[in-house]
Amino acid sequence: GGYTQSPGGFGSPAGTQAEKKQRIRSQNIVPCTVSQLLAAEQVDETFRIRDVEISQVTIMGIIRHAEKAPTNILYKVDDMTAAPMDVRQWVDTDEAGGENVVVPPGTYVKVAGHLRSFQNKKSLVAFKIMPLENMNEFTTHILEIVNAHMVLRKNLMSASRVPQSFSSAGIADVGGYGGGGSLPVNGLTAHQSQVLNLIKNCPVPEGMSLQELKLQLHNMSMSTIKQAVEFLSSEGHIYSTVDDDHYKSTDAE
Amino acid sequence: MGDVHELPRPRIATGHLAQHIGQPVCFVGRVEKIHPTGKLFVLSDGEGKHTTVELSEPLDEEISGVIEVVGRVTNRATIMCMSYVQFREDKSPFDLELYNDALKIIHEFPEYFPFG
Repeated sequence: GGYTQSPGGFGSPAGTQAEKKQRIRSQNIVPCTVSQLLAAEQVDETFRIRDVEISQVTIMGIIRHAEKAPTNILYKVDDMTAAPMDVRQWVDTDEAGGENVVVPPGTYVKVAGHLRSFQNKKSLVAFKIMPLENMNEFTTHILEIVNAHMVLRKNLMSASRVPQSFSSAGIADVGGYGGGGSLPVNGLTAHQSQVLNLIKNCPVPEGMSLQELKLQLHNMSMSTIKQAVEFLSSEGHIYSTVDDDHYKSTDAE
Repeated sequence: MGDVHELPRPRIATGHLAQHIGQPVCFVGRVEKIHPTGKLFVLSDGEGKHTTVELSEPLDEEISGVIEVVGRVTNRATIMCMSYVQFREDKSPFDLELYNDALKIIHEFPEYFPFG
């Protein structure tokens, strides 16, 4: 199947469930190397590069190969950090020409898109591919990659030590990383995140019980678990089901 | 030997050649001179240091300005070129010194700019 790209550039599925997911998901557009994207770990529908959550990314590289099909153009973009990456651009079949001209191999481009993984192979679905007119932008991109990953990682490390009393929407504005500039950290402490993840992944209809949580989280006391559950519940991440001892995630599939 | 374009190719300056003998690399520099046979040319990096680039087949075109070479470092600390690309400078000149500074940063922080 394919993804329909809205003009706004967000390829995620429409609907309230996706909106809820985006509240916790990264709102950034993060400059990356191909090597970072290939090394990104996938957990459910999110990707993490060394614990930093990513979704929309930019890469810059040279087009090594371009193949036009009826509904999409498949490029191979090479930034020297690894083998060239597959970048797919869906063709707007309603539009005549313009947007969908194939960029020739040998051109340096900036690609903005979403990271995807299919049968363990990573690729990008691009919502924008622009030839570079000024190669100094490439130098800037290199510096932006180092800066972005360094800053995001630092914020992730410091945020996990500080309990937050509000959910997403920025502990500090990183600034300049597209979107709203808000951070990938969901405003939860490490304990709260662990509890939430267990509850999210619980397949049982009545949700996860406090006793189950205690069994799985050896390092946490029952009172810590209860505090985490209370916080997550008040923030709307979870809700009680059959009784006050059982909880399900509001983001569950 | 394999196709170096499928492998990581660290971006280096002249000063890094010795540490990458036998390895695939990517080198960006300004054309200083081209040997009459067309099988060899010299590039200068952002610090003005020269690197010799060798070709298996002679050049079939004039090259000038800033070139990005992909190849393997020989044991003579030259680069055996597998492919090259000319950086466009029609709209703005390329700041090679700034690129050299960027190289220093990525070499200092390989955890945030990994090759491979």
